[in-house]
Amino acid sequence: MTTTPCIHITELTKIFKTGLFKSKTAVENLNLQIPSGEVVGLLGPNGSGKSTTLKMILGFLKPTSGEILICGQSADKRLARSFIGYLPENPRFQKFLTGGEILRYYGKLLGLSGSTLSKKTESLLELVNLKHAGDERVQGYSKGMTQRLAIAQSLLNNPPLLIFDEPMSGLDPIGRIEMRTLISTIHTENPKSTLFFSSHVLEDVENLCQSVALLQKGKLKTYASIESLISNEQQSYDIILKNLAPEAESKIFPQCPSKVLAAGKSFSVKGPEKLSWVLSQLMGSEAKIVSITGQRRQLEEALFRASEGFVTREVQA
Amino acid sequence: MKQALQISWIAIRELVYEKVFYLLFSFVGLALILGILLGQLTFGEQAKLTLDFMLGCTHISMVLFSIFMGISLFQRELQMGSVSMLLSKPVSRTSFLLGKYLGQIAVQLGVILAITAVTVLSCLRFETVHYLALAQAILLIFFETCVITAITYFFSVNTGGILAAMATFVFFALGHYNTASNRKVATDSKPLTEALWSIVPNLEVFNLKTYASYGVTISSKEIVLSSAYALLCCVMFLVLASLTFERKDILT
Repeated sequence: MTTTPCIHITELTKIFKTGLFKSKTAVENLNLQIPSGEVVGLLGPNGSGKSTTLKMILGFLKPTSGEILICGQSADKRLARSFIGYLPENPRFQKFLTGGEILRYYGKLLGLSGSTLSKKTESLLELVNLKHAGDERVQGYSKGMTQRLAIAQSLLNNPPLLIFDEPMSGLDPIGRIEMRTLISTIHTENPKSTLFFSSHVLEDVENLCQSVALLQKGKLKTYASIESLISNEQQSYDIILKNLAPEAESKIFPQCPSKVLAAGKSFSVKGPEKLSWVLSQLMGSEAKIVSITGQRRQLEEALFRASEGFVTREVQA
Repeated sequence: MKQALQISWIAIRELVYEKVFYLLFSFVGLALILGILLGQLTFGEQAKLTLDFMLGCTHISMVLFSIFMGISLFQRELQMGSVSMLLSKPVSRTSFLLGKYLGQIAVQLGVILAITAVTVLSCLRFETVHYLALAQAILLIFFETCVITAITYFFSVNTGGILAAMATFVFFALGHYNTASNRKVATDSKPLTEALWSIVPNLEVFNLKTYASYGVTISSKEIVLSSAYALLCCVMFLVLASLTFERKDILT
């Protein structure tokens, strides 16, 4: 049985006119199908076309050619936007309104009213941990609070599609953790909703997403599930050892690259099976294990290969 | 329409919250006081001159109000990016534009009513003031500001704030020059210049200031015709603004 994809993009192209005879292709022949209920990350460096793609999905930009369908509806139709909850990169609100007033205002625009709207406003303020600040003007809100309020407004009509543009942008480490937890909670509570978000941060994408789409210079370089990307990569581990006899070293780590550190000697081991074998060999030796660290380079490496070396420092940041 | 009314209510609150609103409101107050004081400088024609000055000040203040508040209300939302959250909802761009416009017109109506109250109070000491003529003049100033606001929105959609203000001022100046006799001289019966002039509304239709200071009233038929003309101009510029805005790429 086939189900309608939540987002169906066909041959999408956007060309911006930058001068009288100049133009710039921001997105070129993009084909993408996002199934319902998935959390999908949209990755790419600055200028790769991430925001342009999201803005075309939202109808802010008119595609030069191609088609976008949102839950089966053309993205340029007003109806399509009733399926979307959107969080912009830098959400801004009318600063004279309170958090509660903003939710009620947007709720009314979505056709909610009366007790339904009041209950929804209350529950969303509670969900994003802003119940205490619901009667405060947003001009006094911190960046994290504003971001959380923006998430609340995106959930007002329980949309089947959530589009978050750089949801962790500009947040401090605690804010990032809070936001990540909130996004996980939202998806757990609404497992049927699709979450499509752009990010520069691979760690966020790896923790939250089931699939990832990678854009480079306006073209789709790869679109695959994180599981399939990672399964092709071997997890590597760094083991730091003390008092390892030279004979044991040549037996356990033949031709293995090593580094001498202040804490001991560091070896890099690829794959969990190899790690188990190394540990079993070390049990009988006099060597002391100082630390074992799994290297978090899996998605990064997988994407690097998928994009033929595109993943730059900017994306890794 | 319901969505446009929601947006207009927020626009009213936004304007009342704006510092520019109070700055312009102070200017209106200052202009009215100046009008009263200048009227004192004459002998025998005090009522006429006071009314002349006050209506002139009301006219200029309201035009400035229409242009600057219109640009502030519309452009800032685009530049600030809050428009993206609003337009990500099933709200048409026309509703957004109309909502902002209606909100501004409601505030302008409140301001002009306050000005009228001040003008009437300061004219109570004169016996020669014709209040119906005064009311007609102020009503038509209000109609003119509705047209000017629509023109401001049209230019705001197409250009940046400064250019929009300049273009609207040019339309305002041309609009007061665009009388039938001046137009005949300017176009010299050439079809192209005639066509270009035809898109500039004749704002002199709304100028009853001199009539009011001489206590001359116009017929209700003329008032109805003027209001119909104002409505036509507003609809024309708002439709043009809406058509452009619907096709515009929103980059924020």
